[in-house]
Amino acid sequence: MKINGVTIEDTFAEAFTMRVARIIITGRSARWAGAAADNLTGFATSVIGCKCEAGIERTLGESETPDGRPGVSVLFLTPDKTSLPEQLVVRLGQTVLTCPTTACFDGLPDVPERLAVGKALRVFGDGFQASKVIAGKRYWRVPVMEGEFLIEETFGMQKGVGGGNFLILGEEADAALAAAEAAVAAMTNLAGVILPFPGGVVRSGSKVGSQRYKKMIATTNDAFGPTLRPITPSQLPEGVNSVLEIVLDGTDAPAIAGAMRVGIPAACRPGVRAITAGNYGGKLGPHHFPLRTILA
Amino acid sequence: MSAAVLLTLITPPAHALVADAVAPDRFAALSAKEIAALPVLHGGRPAELGDFFQVRGERTAALRIEGDLGRVEGIGTAMAGGELVVAGPVGRDLGLAMAGGTIDVSGNAGDNAGGARPGAARGMTGGEIVIRGSAGTLAGAAMRRGLVMVTGDAGPGVGRGMIAGTVVVGGRTAPGTGRFLKRGSIVALGGAGARPATFRYACTYRPSYLLVLFRYLRQRYGLAIADRHITGRYARYAGDMAELGKGEILEWVAE
Repeated sequence: MKINGVTIEDTFAEAFTMRVARIIITGRSARWAGAAADNLTGFATSVIGCKCEAGIERTLGESETPDGRPGVSVLFLTPDKTSLPEQLVVRLGQTVLTCPTTACFDGLPDVPERLAVGKALRVFGDGFQASKVIAGKRYWRVPVMEGEFLIEETFGMQKGVGGGNFLILGEEADAALAAAEAAVAAMTNLAGVILPFPGGVVRSGSKVGSQRYKKMIATTNDAFGPTLRPITPSQLPEGVNSVLEIVLDGTDAPAIAGAMRVGIPAACRPGVRAITAGNYGGKLGPHHFPLRTILA
Repeated sequence: MSAAVLLTLITPPAHALVADAVAPDRFAALSAKEIAALPVLHGGRPAELGDFFQVRGERTAALRIEGDLGRVEGIGTAMAGGELVVAGPVGRDLGLAMAGGTIDVSGNAGDNAGGARPGAARGMTGGEIVIRGSAGTLAGAAMRRGLVMVTGDAGPGVGRGMIAGTVVVGGRTAPGTGRFLKRGSIVALGGAGARPATFRYACTYRPSYLLVLFRYLRQRYGLAIADRHITGRYARYAGDMAELGKGEILEWVAE
Protein backbone atom coordinates (compact mmCIF):
# COMPACT_ATOMS: atom_id res chain seq x y z
CA MET A 1 0.00 0.00 0.00
CA LYS A 2 1.21 3.48 -0.83
CA ILE A 3 -0.19 6.90 0.01
CA ASN A 4 1.28 9.82 -1.96
CA GLY A 5 4.13 7.52 -2.90
CA VAL A 6 4.87 6.64 0.73
CA THR A 7 4.95 2.94 1.56
CA ILE A 8 2.60 1.83 4.34
CA GLU A 9 4.26 -1.19 5.88
CA ASP A 10 2.19 -4.32 6.41
CA THR A 11 2.46 -4.28 10.16
CA PHE A 12 0.53 -3.20 13.24
CA ALA A 13 0.85 -0.99 16.29
CA GLU A 14 0.50 -2.79 19.59
CA ALA A 15 -1.06 -0.97 22.53
CA PHE A 16 -1.97 -1.63 26.14
CA THR A 17 -4.97 -1.29 28.40
CA MET A 18 -4.62 1.59 30.84
CA ARG A 19 -6.92 3.51 33.14
CA VAL A 20 -8.04 6.93 31.98
CA ALA A 21 -9.75 9.99 33.44
CA ARG A 22 -10.90 13.08 31.61
CA ILE A 23 -10.31 16.37 33.43
CA ILE A 24 -12.09 19.56 32.39
CA ILE A 25 -10.22 22.68 33.44
CA THR A 26 -11.84 26.07 33.07
CA GLY A 27 -10.52 29.53 33.70
CA ARG A 28 -11.33 33.19 33.49
CA SER A 29 -9.74 33.10 30.05
CA ALA A 30 -8.44 30.45 27.70
CA ARG A 31 -4.96 31.55 28.72
CA TRP A 32 -5.40 30.51 32.34
CA ALA A 33 -7.22 27.29 31.58
CA GLY A 34 -4.41 26.48 29.18
CA ALA A 35 -1.73 27.39 31.69
CA ALA A 36 -3.13 24.91 34.19
CA ALA A 37 -3.55 22.24 31.54
CA ASP A 38 0.00 22.74 30.28
CA ASN A 39 1.37 22.28 33.76
CA LEU A 40 -0.87 19.33 34.53
CA THR A 41 0.23 17.51 31.40
CA GLY A 42 3.88 18.51 31.69
CA PHE A 43 6.31 15.68 32.46
CA ALA A 44 3.64 13.13 31.64
CA THR A 45 4.99 11.64 28.45
CA SER A 46 5.44 8.01 29.42
CA VAL A 47 4.68 5.78 32.36
CA ILE A 48 8.25 4.55 32.07
CA GLY A 49 9.55 7.61 33.82
CA CYS A 50 6.58 9.82 34.66
CA LYS A 51 4.20 7.27 36.25
CA CYS A 52 1.43 8.66 34.08
CA GLU A 53 0.68 9.84 30.58
CA ALA A 54 -1.38 12.93 29.94
CA GLY A 55 -2.13 15.41 27.26
CA ILE A 56 -4.57 18.03 26.10
CA GLU A 57 -7.43 16.37 24.29
CA ARG A 58 -8.96 19.56 22.96
CA THR A 59 -9.87 23.09 23.84
CA LEU A 60 -13.45 23.74 24.88
CA GLY A 61 -15.66 26.68 24.08
CA GLU A 62 -17.76 28.45 26.67
CA SER A 63 -20.84 26.47 25.70
CA GLU A 64 -19.07 23.17 26.36
CA THR A 65 -17.98 23.65 29.96
CA PRO A 66 -19.97 23.28 33.19
CA ASP A 67 -19.39 26.88 34.26
CA GLY A 68 -19.63 28.56 30.87
CA ARG A 69 -16.01 29.65 30.79
CA PRO A 70 -13.25 28.75 28.34
CA GLY A 71 -11.80 25.36 29.08
CA VAL A 72 -9.44 22.58 28.21
CA SER A 73 -10.10 18.86 28.23
CA VAL A 74 -7.23 16.68 29.43
CA LEU A 75 -6.88 12.93 29.27
CA PHE A 76 -4.88 11.38 32.08
CA LEU A 77 -3.75 7.76 32.01
CA THR A 78 -1.93 5.37 34.30
CA PRO A 79 -1.21 1.66 34.01
CA ASP A 80 -3.49 0.61 36.87
CA LYS A 81 -6.46 1.60 39.03
CA THR A 82 -4.44 2.44 42.10
CA SER A 83 -2.01 4.90 40.63
CA LEU A 84 -4.56 7.01 38.76
CA PRO A 85 -6.11 8.68 41.83
CA GLU A 86 -2.69 9.04 43.42
CA GLN A 87 -1.28 10.84 40.41
CA LEU A 88 -4.39 12.97 39.96
CA VAL A 89 -4.41 14.16 43.55
CA VAL A 90 -0.76 15.09 43.43
CA ARG A 91 -0.83 16.74 40.04
CA LEU A 92 -4.19 18.52 40.25
CA GLY A 93 -3.21 19.78 43.67
CA GLN A 94 0.03 21.27 42.41
CA THR A 95 -0.98 22.51 38.99
CA VAL A 96 -4.70 23.31 38.86
CA LEU A 97 -5.47 24.24 42.44
CA THR A 98 -2.52 26.61 42.32
CA CYS A 99 -3.43 28.27 39.03
CA PRO A 100 -5.36 31.57 39.16
CA THR A 101 -9.06 31.53 38.28
CA THR A 102 -9.31 27.84 37.42
CA ALA A 103 -11.99 25.33 38.30
CA CYS A 104 -11.85 21.59 37.74
CA PHE A 105 -14.62 19.25 36.57
CA ASP A 106 -15.07 15.60 35.72
CA GLY A 107 -15.20 14.83 32.02
CA LEU A 108 -16.52 11.28 32.39
CA PRO A 109 -19.74 11.85 34.36
CA ASP A 110 -21.50 8.69 33.21
CA VAL A 111 -18.74 6.31 34.20
CA PRO A 112 -19.67 4.27 37.30
CA GLU A 113 -16.19 3.85 38.74
CA ARG A 114 -15.46 7.03 40.68
CA LEU A 115 -12.24 8.48 42.09
CA ALA A 116 -12.58 10.72 45.12
CA VAL A 117 -10.03 13.22 43.87
CA GLY A 118 -11.85 16.41 44.83
CA LYS A 119 -12.73 14.88 48.15
CA ALA A 120 -9.04 14.35 48.82
CA LEU A 121 -8.01 17.81 47.67
CA ARG A 122 -10.66 19.54 49.77
CA VAL A 123 -8.56 19.17 52.90
CA PHE A 124 -6.25 21.88 51.60
CA GLY A 125 -9.03 24.08 52.88
CA ASP A 126 -8.06 23.12 56.43
CA GLY A 127 -11.64 22.79 57.57
CA PHE A 128 -12.78 26.04 55.96
CA GLN A 129 -13.84 24.24 52.77
CA ALA A 130 -17.52 23.95 51.95
CA SER A 131 -19.45 21.68 49.65
CA LYS A 132 -22.34 22.33 47.30
CA VAL A 133 -24.56 19.79 45.61
CA ILE A 134 -25.74 21.00 42.21
CA ALA A 135 -27.78 18.75 39.93
CA GLY A 136 -26.87 15.76 42.04
CA LYS A 137 -23.12 16.36 41.90
CA ARG A 138 -21.09 17.44 44.86
CA TYR A 139 -18.55 20.19 44.43
CA TRP A 140 -15.97 21.45 46.89
CA ARG A 141 -15.25 25.10 47.41
CA VAL A 142 -11.71 25.36 48.70
CA PRO A 143 -10.79 28.79 50.02
CA VAL A 144 -7.53 30.12 48.58
CA MET A 145 -5.80 33.50 48.69
CA GLU A 146 -7.31 34.48 45.36
CA GLY A 147 -10.83 33.58 46.45
CA GLU A 148 -12.09 30.04 45.94
CA PHE A 149 -11.05 26.97 44.01
CA LEU A 150 -13.97 24.84 42.81
CA ILE A 151 -13.50 21.15 42.13
CA GLU A 152 -15.90 18.30 41.59
CA GLU A 153 -15.83 15.70 44.34
CA THR A 154 -15.36 12.63 42.15
CA PHE A 155 -13.97 11.87 38.73
CA GLY A 156 -14.83 8.96 36.47
CA MET A 157 -12.26 6.29 35.65
CA GLN A 158 -12.57 3.84 32.81
CA LYS A 159 -10.38 1.52 30.80
CA GLY A 160 -8.41 3.30 28.11
CA VAL A 161 -5.71 2.48 25.62
CA GLY A 162 -2.09 3.58 25.74
CA GLY A 163 0.73 3.13 23.30
CA GLY A 164 -0.90 3.38 19.92
CA ASN A 165 1.81 4.50 17.54
CA PHE A 166 3.23 4.91 14.10
CA LEU A 167 6.73 5.67 12.88
CA ILE A 168 7.65 8.11 10.14
CA LEU A 169 10.70 6.98 8.18
CA GLY A 170 12.19 10.05 6.54
CA GLU A 171 14.94 10.50 4.00
CA GLU A 172 16.35 13.23 6.18
CA ALA A 173 15.57 14.85 9.53
CA ASP A 174 13.77 17.93 8.22
CA ALA A 175 11.42 15.85 6.09
CA ALA A 176 10.59 13.54 8.99
CA LEU A 177 9.95 16.49 11.27
CA ALA A 178 7.71 18.25 8.74
CA ALA A 179 5.73 15.06 8.29
CA ALA A 180 5.39 14.58 12.04
CA GLU A 181 4.22 18.17 12.44
CA ALA A 182 1.62 17.66 9.74
CA ALA A 183 0.40 14.47 11.39
CA VAL A 184 0.13 16.15 14.79
CA ALA A 185 -1.77 19.06 13.30
CA ALA A 186 -4.24 16.65 11.72
CA MET A 187 -4.76 14.77 15.00
CA THR A 188 -5.02 17.79 17.29
CA ASN A 189 -8.38 18.41 18.97
CA LEU A 190 -9.77 14.96 18.14
CA ALA A 191 -12.09 13.67 20.83
CA GLY A 192 -10.80 10.75 22.86
CA VAL A 193 -7.14 10.97 21.86
CA ILE A 194 -3.98 12.60 23.16
CA LEU A 195 -0.41 12.69 21.93
CA PRO A 196 1.51 12.76 25.23
CA PHE A 197 5.03 13.51 23.98
CA PRO A 198 6.54 16.96 23.40
CA GLY A 199 4.75 18.56 20.50
CA GLY A 200 3.10 15.19 20.00
CA VAL A 201 6.32 13.66 18.64
CA VAL A 202 8.91 11.19 19.99
CA ARG A 203 12.44 11.01 18.66
CA SER A 204 13.61 8.37 21.12
CA GLY A 205 11.44 5.36 20.55
CA SER A 206 12.40 2.55 22.89
CA LYS A 207 12.61 -1.20 23.03
CA VAL A 208 11.84 -3.29 26.08
CA GLY A 209 14.84 -3.88 28.36
CA SER A 210 18.50 -3.55 27.53
CA GLN A 211 21.23 -5.53 25.84
CA ARG A 212 23.72 -4.27 28.35
CA TYR A 213 22.17 -2.74 31.49
CA LYS A 214 20.04 -5.13 33.54
CA LYS A 215 18.24 -2.42 35.51
CA MET A 216 17.00 -0.56 32.47
CA ILE A 217 13.38 -1.33 31.57
CA ALA A 218 13.60 0.49 28.24
CA THR A 219 16.47 1.52 26.03
CA THR A 220 16.94 3.01 22.60
CA ASN A 221 15.19 1.34 19.70
CA ASP A 222 18.45 0.54 17.95
CA ALA A 223 16.69 -1.26 15.09
CA PHE A 224 15.36 2.12 13.98
CA GLY A 225 18.40 4.21 14.88
CA PRO A 226 20.02 5.43 11.65
CA THR A 227 23.42 5.99 13.22
CA LEU A 228 23.50 2.33 14.31
CA ARG A 229 22.58 0.83 10.96
CA PRO A 230 25.91 -0.99 10.38
CA ILE A 231 26.27 -2.37 13.91
CA THR A 232 22.80 -3.55 14.83
CA PRO A 233 20.05 -5.64 13.16
CA SER A 234 18.55 -2.58 11.49
CA GLN A 235 14.99 -2.46 10.24
CA LEU A 236 15.52 0.74 8.31
CA PRO A 237 15.04 0.68 4.56
CA GLU A 238 17.82 2.10 2.47
CA GLY A 239 17.69 5.87 2.16
CA VAL A 240 16.09 6.45 5.56
CA ASN A 241 18.17 8.79 7.69
CA SER A 242 15.73 9.92 10.40
CA VAL A 243 12.76 8.37 12.19
CA LEU A 244 10.14 10.05 14.34
CA GLU A 245 7.33 8.36 16.23
CA ILE A 246 3.84 9.50 17.09
CA VAL A 247 2.41 7.89 20.23
CA LEU A 248 -1.33 7.97 20.80
CA ASP A 249 -3.26 7.34 24.01
CA GLY A 250 -7.03 7.39 24.16
CA THR A 251 -10.28 6.56 25.78
CA ASP A 252 -10.78 3.50 23.57
CA ALA A 253 -9.35 1.69 20.56
CA PRO A 254 -11.73 3.19 17.96
CA ALA A 255 -10.66 6.70 18.96
CA ILE A 256 -7.02 5.81 18.41
CA ALA A 257 -7.71 4.06 15.13
CA GLY A 258 -9.69 7.07 13.99
CA ALA A 259 -6.82 9.41 14.79
CA MET A 260 -4.31 7.18 12.99
CA ARG A 261 -6.61 7.18 9.98
CA VAL A 262 -6.27 10.96 9.88
CA GLY A 263 -2.68 11.32 11.00
CA ILE A 264 -0.90 8.81 8.82
CA PRO A 265 -2.06 10.24 5.47
CA ALA A 266 -1.09 13.69 6.71
CA ALA A 267 2.43 12.38 7.30
CA CYS A 268 2.72 10.97 3.80
CA ARG A 269 4.65 13.88 2.34
CA PRO A 270 7.64 14.32 0.11
CA GLY A 271 10.81 13.08 1.76
CA VAL A 272 9.06 10.29 3.65
CA ARG A 273 9.96 6.78 2.53
CA ALA A 274 7.61 4.72 4.66
CA ILE A 275 5.23 4.56 7.62
CA THR A 276 5.56 1.66 9.99
CA ALA A 277 4.53 0.89 13.58
CA GLY A 278 5.97 -0.53 16.76
CA ASN A 279 4.88 -3.82 18.23
CA TYR A 280 6.09 -6.69 20.35
CA GLY A 281 4.98 -9.45 18.07
CA GLY A 282 1.45 -9.13 19.35
CA LYS A 283 2.29 -10.87 22.61
CA LEU A 284 2.22 -8.01 25.11
CA GLY A 285 -0.59 -5.64 24.28
CA PRO A 286 -4.20 -6.64 23.67
CA HIS A 287 -4.90 -3.80 21.26
CA HIS A 288 -3.59 -4.15 17.70
CA PHE A 289 -3.85 -1.47 15.04
CA PRO A 290 -2.98 -2.90 11.61
CA LEU A 291 -1.93 0.07 9.50
CA ARG A 292 -3.24 -1.13 6.16
CA THR A 293 -6.58 -2.22 7.60
CA ILE A 294 -7.06 1.11 9.32
CA LEU A 295 -6.24 3.04 6.17
CA ALA A 296 -8.19 0.81 3.77
CA MET B 1 -49.63 4.29 34.95
CA SER B 2 -50.16 7.80 33.62
CA ALA B 3 -47.63 10.33 32.38
CA ALA B 4 -48.62 12.56 35.29
CA VAL B 5 -51.24 12.89 37.96
CA LEU B 6 -53.25 16.08 37.54
CA LEU B 7 -55.06 17.61 40.51
CA THR B 8 -57.42 20.42 39.62
CA LEU B 9 -58.94 22.53 42.38
CA ILE B 10 -62.70 22.42 41.84
CA THR B 11 -63.93 23.46 45.28
CA PRO B 12 -61.90 26.33 46.68
CA PRO B 13 -61.48 25.80 50.41
CA ALA B 14 -63.24 28.24 52.69
CA HIS B 15 -60.62 27.71 55.40
CA ALA B 16 -57.04 26.52 55.55
CA LEU B 17 -56.76 23.15 53.87
CA VAL B 18 -53.91 21.02 55.18
CA ALA B 19 -53.00 18.62 52.37
CA ASP B 20 -49.74 17.21 53.67
CA ALA B 21 -50.47 13.81 52.10
CA VAL B 22 -50.00 15.29 48.65
CA ALA B 23 -46.54 14.27 47.47
CA PRO B 24 -45.64 12.88 44.05
CA ASP B 25 -43.53 9.98 45.28
CA ARG B 26 -46.46 8.68 47.32
CA PHE B 27 -48.74 8.91 44.31
CA ALA B 28 -46.49 6.50 42.40
CA ALA B 29 -48.21 3.58 44.14
CA LEU B 30 -51.77 4.94 44.30
CA SER B 31 -54.75 4.69 41.99
CA ALA B 32 -56.83 7.77 41.19
CA LYS B 33 -59.44 6.55 43.63
CA GLU B 34 -56.92 6.10 46.40
CA ILE B 35 -55.48 9.54 45.73
CA ALA B 36 -58.94 11.11 45.97
CA ALA B 37 -59.45 9.37 49.29
CA LEU B 38 -56.30 10.78 50.91
CA PRO B 39 -57.04 12.57 54.16
CA VAL B 40 -56.92 16.35 54.46
CA LEU B 41 -57.92 18.79 57.17
CA HIS B 42 -60.27 21.59 56.22
CA GLY B 43 -60.56 24.20 58.91
CA GLY B 44 -59.34 21.56 61.32
CA ARG B 45 -62.01 19.04 60.29
CA PRO B 46 -61.22 15.77 58.50
CA ALA B 47 -62.07 15.55 54.82
CA GLU B 48 -60.81 13.86 51.68
CA LEU B 49 -58.66 15.26 48.92
CA GLY B 50 -61.34 14.39 46.38
CA ASP B 51 -63.73 16.78 48.14
CA PHE B 52 -61.69 19.65 46.76
CA PHE B 53 -59.71 18.33 43.80
CA GLN B 54 -60.55 16.50 40.64
CA VAL B 55 -58.00 13.70 40.20
CA ARG B 56 -56.84 12.57 36.79
CA GLY B 57 -54.07 10.03 36.26
CA GLU B 58 -52.56 7.55 38.67
CA ARG B 59 -49.47 5.60 39.70
CA THR B 60 -46.77 8.05 38.72
CA ALA B 61 -44.36 10.27 40.59
CA ALA B 62 -45.05 13.24 38.31
CA LEU B 63 -47.72 15.49 39.77
CA ARG B 64 -49.25 18.72 38.52
CA ILE B 65 -51.65 20.79 40.59
CA GLU B 66 -53.75 23.56 39.08
CA GLY B 67 -55.76 26.27 40.78
CA ASP B 68 -55.39 28.93 43.43
CA LEU B 69 -53.85 26.99 46.29
CA GLY B 70 -53.30 30.02 48.50
CA ARG B 71 -55.18 28.31 51.32
CA VAL B 72 -53.74 24.86 50.70
CA GLU B 73 -50.96 24.04 53.14
CA GLY B 74 -48.31 21.36 53.41
CA ILE B 75 -48.14 20.39 49.74
CA GLY B 76 -45.11 18.15 49.19
CA THR B 77 -44.50 17.55 52.89
CA ALA B 78 -41.63 15.09 53.41
CA MET B 79 -41.56 14.18 49.74
CA ALA B 80 -38.48 12.17 48.87
CA GLY B 81 -38.63 12.10 45.10
CA GLY B 82 -40.64 12.81 42.01
CA GLU B 83 -41.62 16.03 40.33
CA LEU B 84 -44.31 18.36 41.58
CA VAL B 85 -45.50 21.29 39.49
CA VAL B 86 -47.91 23.81 40.99
CA ALA B 87 -49.56 26.10 38.47
CA GLY B 88 -50.66 28.90 40.73
CA PRO B 89 -50.01 30.32 44.17
CA VAL B 90 -49.62 27.96 47.10
CA GLY B 91 -50.06 28.25 50.84
CA ARG B 92 -47.70 27.75 53.74
CA ASP B 93 -45.45 24.76 54.49
CA LEU B 94 -44.73 23.92 50.86
CA GLY B 95 -42.15 21.10 50.78
CA LEU B 96 -42.04 20.95 54.56
CA ALA B 97 -39.15 18.70 55.66
CA MET B 98 -38.68 17.65 52.05
CA ALA B 99 -35.96 15.05 51.38
CA GLY B 100 -35.78 14.81 47.58
CA GLY B 101 -37.40 15.50 44.26
CA THR B 102 -38.36 18.84 42.78
CA ILE B 103 -41.15 21.35 43.36
CA ASP B 104 -41.76 24.05 40.77
CA VAL B 105 -44.34 26.70 41.67
CA SER B 106 -45.63 29.27 39.22
CA GLY B 107 -46.83 31.79 41.76
CA ASN B 108 -46.22 33.01 45.25
CA ALA B 109 -45.66 30.65 48.15
CA GLY B 110 -46.73 31.09 51.76
CA ASP B 111 -44.66 30.94 54.89
CA ASN B 112 -42.15 28.23 55.75
CA ALA B 113 -41.55 26.92 52.21
CA GLY B 114 -38.95 24.19 52.49
CA GLY B 115 -38.98 24.78 56.21
CA ALA B 116 -39.08 22.60 59.30
CA ARG B 117 -41.91 21.10 61.29
CA PRO B 118 -42.62 22.96 64.52
CA GLY B 119 -39.84 22.23 67.00
CA ALA B 120 -37.80 20.16 64.53
CA ALA B 121 -34.05 20.76 64.27
CA ARG B 122 -33.98 20.15 60.53
CA GLY B 123 -36.08 21.32 57.64
CA MET B 124 -35.30 20.24 54.10
CA THR B 125 -32.75 17.47 53.81
CA GLY B 126 -32.68 17.32 50.02
CA GLY B 127 -34.42 18.22 46.80
CA GLU B 128 -35.13 21.49 45.04
CA ILE B 129 -37.90 24.05 45.33
CA VAL B 130 -38.33 26.74 42.70
CA ILE B 131 -40.83 29.49 43.48
CA ARG B 132 -41.55 31.72 40.50
CA GLY B 133 -42.84 34.50 42.66
CA SER B 134 -42.37 35.65 46.21
CA ALA B 135 -42.07 33.60 49.37
CA GLY B 136 -43.44 34.28 52.82
CA THR B 137 -41.49 34.10 56.02
CA LEU B 138 -38.89 31.46 56.88
CA ALA B 139 -38.27 30.03 53.41
CA GLY B 140 -35.60 27.33 53.71
CA ALA B 141 -35.50 27.61 57.48
CA ALA B 142 -33.33 24.97 59.19
CA MET B 143 -32.40 23.47 55.81
CA ARG B 144 -29.83 20.68 56.06
CA ARG B 145 -29.36 20.09 52.34
CA GLY B 146 -31.10 21.18 49.17
CA LEU B 147 -31.96 24.24 47.17
CA VAL B 148 -34.70 26.85 47.40
CA MET B 149 -34.90 29.36 44.57
CA VAL B 150 -37.24 32.32 45.01
CA THR B 151 -37.38 34.52 41.93
CA GLY B 152 -39.19 37.33 43.74
CA ASP B 153 -38.91 38.74 47.23
CA ALA B 154 -38.47 36.64 50.36
CA GLY B 155 -40.15 37.41 53.65
CA PRO B 156 -38.46 37.80 57.02
CA GLY B 157 -36.33 34.99 58.31
CA VAL B 158 -35.37 33.40 55.00
CA GLY B 159 -32.79 30.70 55.69
CA ARG B 160 -33.16 31.07 59.44
CA GLY B 161 -31.05 28.48 61.24
CA MET B 162 -29.83 26.80 58.06
CA ILE B 163 -27.40 23.96 58.64
CA ALA B 164 -26.32 23.69 55.00
CA GLY B 165 -27.80 24.00 51.53
CA THR B 166 -28.57 27.00 49.37
CA VAL B 167 -31.33 29.60 49.19
CA VAL B 168 -31.32 32.02 46.27
CA VAL B 169 -33.53 35.11 46.40
CA GLY B 170 -33.98 36.94 43.13
CA GLY B 171 -35.72 39.94 44.70
CA ARG B 172 -35.30 41.64 48.04
CA THR B 173 -34.66 40.00 51.36
CA ALA B 174 -36.25 41.08 54.63
CA PRO B 175 -34.98 41.46 58.20
CA GLY B 176 -33.75 38.31 59.88
CA THR B 177 -32.24 36.82 56.73
CA GLY B 178 -29.93 33.98 57.72
CA ARG B 179 -30.19 34.54 61.43
CA PHE B 180 -28.65 31.60 63.35
CA LEU B 181 -27.18 30.22 60.12
CA LYS B 182 -24.58 27.53 60.84
CA ARG B 183 -23.43 26.69 57.34
CA GLY B 184 -25.12 27.08 54.00
CA SER B 185 -25.52 29.93 51.58
CA ILE B 186 -28.10 32.62 51.02
CA VAL B 187 -27.60 34.30 47.68
CA ALA B 188 -29.30 37.68 47.50
CA LEU B 189 -29.53 39.00 43.96
CA GLY B 190 -31.68 41.96 44.93
CA GLY B 191 -29.69 43.10 47.93
CA ALA B 192 -29.26 41.96 51.51
CA GLY B 193 -29.25 45.22 53.38
CA ALA B 194 -31.38 43.80 56.16
CA ARG B 195 -28.91 41.10 57.15
CA PRO B 196 -28.34 40.55 60.87
CA ALA B 197 -25.55 42.44 62.60
CA THR B 198 -23.96 39.10 63.44
CA PHE B 199 -22.75 38.70 59.87
CA ARG B 200 -19.30 40.07 59.01
CA TYR B 201 -18.12 41.32 55.64
CA ALA B 202 -15.38 39.11 54.18
CA CYS B 203 -14.65 40.18 50.62
CA THR B 204 -16.14 40.97 47.22
CA TYR B 205 -15.43 38.30 44.61
CA ARG B 206 -16.88 36.05 41.93
CA PRO B 207 -17.93 32.74 43.54
CA SER B 208 -17.11 29.97 41.06
CA TYR B 209 -19.93 27.70 42.13
CA LEU B 210 -22.58 30.28 41.24
CA LEU B 211 -21.54 29.93 37.60
CA VAL B 212 -22.44 26.26 37.79
CA LEU B 213 -25.54 26.73 39.91
CA PHE B 214 -27.10 29.49 37.84
CA ARG B 215 -26.39 27.77 34.55
CA TYR B 216 -28.07 24.68 35.99
CA LEU B 217 -31.13 26.69 37.07
CA ARG B 218 -31.35 28.24 33.64
CA GLN B 219 -31.16 24.90 31.86
CA ARG B 220 -33.22 22.78 34.25
CA TYR B 221 -36.00 25.23 35.01
CA GLY B 222 -35.70 27.79 32.24
CA LEU B 223 -35.26 30.60 34.74
CA ALA B 224 -34.31 33.96 33.29
CA ILE B 225 -31.23 34.56 35.40
CA ALA B 226 -29.38 37.56 34.04
CA ASP B 227 -25.81 37.27 32.85
CA ARG B 228 -24.81 40.01 35.26
CA HIS B 229 -25.87 37.79 38.13
CA ILE B 230 -24.08 34.76 36.74
CA THR B 231 -20.75 36.41 36.13
CA GLY B 232 -21.04 39.28 38.57
CA ARG B 233 -19.28 40.09 41.80
CA TYR B 234 -20.74 39.34 45.20
CA ALA B 235 -20.07 40.69 48.65
CA ARG B 236 -19.56 37.79 51.01
CA TYR B 237 -20.81 38.14 54.56
CA ALA B 238 -19.78 35.30 56.86
CA GLY B 239 -22.07 34.29 59.63
CA ASP B 240 -23.96 33.85 61.75
CA MET B 241 -21.17 34.70 64.18
CA ALA B 242 -23.56 33.82 66.98
CA GLU B 243 -23.36 30.26 65.63
CA LEU B 244 -20.52 28.51 63.72
CA GLY B 245 -19.95 31.42 61.38
CA LYS B 246 -19.33 29.04 58.48
CA GLY B 247 -22.35 30.12 56.51
CA GLU B 248 -22.62 33.04 54.15
CA ILE B 249 -24.83 35.66 52.63
CA LEU B 250 -23.67 36.47 49.11
CA GLU B 251 -25.02 39.81 48.00
CA TRP B 252 -24.74 40.68 44.32
CA VAL B 253 -23.06 44.05 44.02
CA ALA B 254 -21.85 44.58 40.47
CA GLU B 255 -21.27 43.06 37.08
